[in-house]
Amino acid sequence: MHRDSWQRYLLMMTVLVCLMMVAIYLSLTNGTFDLSMADIIRTLLRIHPVKEYDLVIFDFRLPRIAIAGLVGLGLGVAGAVIQGVTRNPLADSGVLGINAGAGAAMVIFMLVVQGQLNGTGWLAIMMAPIFGLAGGLGAAILIYLFSWKNGTLDTERLLLTGIAIGSGFSALALYVSLKMKASDFEMAAVWVSGSIYNANWSYILSMLPWLLVLIPIIYKKTYLLDLFQLEDESAKSLGISIEKEKSILLLCAIGLVASCVSVSGSIGFVGLIAPQMAKRLVGIKHRQVVPLCGVMGMFLVIVSDFIAKTVVAPAELPVGIIISIIGVPYFLYLLVKVKA
Amino acid sequence: MSILSVKDLEASYEKFTVFQDLNLAVKKGKITTIIGPNGCGKSTVLKTMGRILKQKQGKVYLQGKDLQTIPTKQIAKQLALLSQNPIAPGQLKVEELITYGRYPHRNNVNKLTAKDKEVLEWAMEITKVTGFRDRELGNLSGGQRQKVWLAMALAQETDILLLDEPTTYLDMAHQLEVLQIVEQLNKDQKCTIVMVLHDINHAARFSHEIVAMKEGTIIRVGPPLEIMTAEVLQQVFQIQARVMIDPYNGVPVCFGYESIGQDEHQAVGQII
Repeated sequence: MHRDSWQRYLLMMTVLVCLMMVAIYLSLTNGTFDLSMADIIRTLLRIHPVKEYDLVIFDFRLPRIAIAGLVGLGLGVAGAVIQGVTRNPLADSGVLGINAGAGAAMVIFMLVVQGQLNGTGWLAIMMAPIFGLAGGLGAAILIYLFSWKNGTLDTERLLLTGIAIGSGFSALALYVSLKMKASDFEMAAVWVSGSIYNANWSYILSMLPWLLVLIPIIYKKTYLLDLFQLEDESAKSLGISIEKEKSILLLCAIGLVASCVSVSGSIGFVGLIAPQMAKRLVGIKHRQVVPLCGVMGMFLVIVSDFIAKTVVAPAELPVGIIISIIGVPYFLYLLVKVKA
Repeated sequence: MSILSVKDLEASYEKFTVFQDLNLAVKKGKITTIIGPNGCGKSTVLKTMGRILKQKQGKVYLQGKDLQTIPTKQIAKQLALLSQNPIAPGQLKVEELITYGRYPHRNNVNKLTAKDKEVLEWAMEITKVTGFRDRELGNLSGGQRQKVWLAMALAQETDILLLDEPTTYLDMAHQLEVLQIVEQLNKDQKCTIVMVLHDINHAARFSHEIVAMKEGTIIRVGPPLEIMTAEVLQQVFQIQARVMIDPYNGVPVCFGYESIGQDEHQAVGQII
């Protein structure tokens, strides 16, 4: 019985990783000018490096794929945690208002700070994720505080306050962006709808530590996510300090989301559909669901980004829009299914 | 010393106080049943004793120690509580759910020890769920499911078992089966049991001691023969009950009752 479930998990994992490799290959080779596999391998292994290829691969395509993968990983894992803790299969970081909080902070950042730093400085780039993180954490802490009732963390309240505070922050972001210059406004609008077109290695550097610290903590606690699927009374009776453990898991998820959003803007639906798909594939054990969600998220964002940059080339769509186009019908399908 | 007791306990939901200054001592190795009308606070007493609900005032003592000073995982090794409406994902397998009961004893949740496996087998055997250990919870009947939950509580290997209306939603035969498992546990394992029941005849048949509650106060505590009287039942439930002793096992049985005031003139010979 157990062996079966692990075999299935490994199979799904392998299939997904292969699909992801294909997506990465497509994303590396296709673009404004096409590269062959041999070109890429030669460039990566530094055999007769060509300057133009270096530029395309190391400065444009590779960081972009890396960011897409990392953002997908973070959002997928965070989505699994948020759905597990709230015991609500339709919850994700967007519903929780964290994205909006980080978004508002980033828009304010663009208006106030970047204007002064001319938008190109290294400091500005390194500051941006921290600002986004501060916004996401700020929103999360607000939501979190409002969700406490009689000394317990009320997960239904968590979703409701999340939606309310999320709308508040979205309104704030809109208000601030209306005060911008036209060019800045456009940039902000693109960013808010989720985009990684201006990917570079310093973004990756700024978000990687968060993933490296938070994901292992979450993975260590996956068994608790299984136990949280029981109602609170049973979980408490088993000797779990549920308030403490839920807080740790939620804060980890919030940290992941905020660091992702600060780099990529608000990419919705990944955190919602990745866990849904993963659960459909491997069942309900979080020790399998969480890693699969991470890989699923990576795959979704890398593919969506590839579509976003090729479908109307040389122009580009924000990757968030592509994911929404995939996500909205799936979301509606889920809603209908849950009702039935 | 009582194995589990409460002193001057006060509990409330929001601003509504359920009970105040409640005192109760549970006897070790006995089955104690709390009865009382809906909303009298019997489940709340049980939940507070099982640290599911935080009291506003007063103390709960487990083996003489203040419950709030003991780490919750330690408590889970001594006391298990089966809640009234336990919920688990329908895709979860019977054995997986019962394995959750080992949580307080496990250091590595990814590997079951020989001891874990032994306890799981025992818990499944005693509750007679071994036959469907591989099935998913969603495919079980209410009676089967309740036995599985009981098995999960047993897997915690505790000296004390708190059961919140363990027979609700079950048919007569399954109600009896569940209570007989409880009785057997008490006899064989010397397990101390505190439960909330609605059926006063079941309470009388399976308990050593009955706690009768009304509106947040304990009206009376005593063996079934003292509680199952027309006088106490009238005071607690506002009914006129007709009680007799079952000649088969010597247990008091309420075999009929009327509401007070309504059919008073028809109720002939109240106590036999």
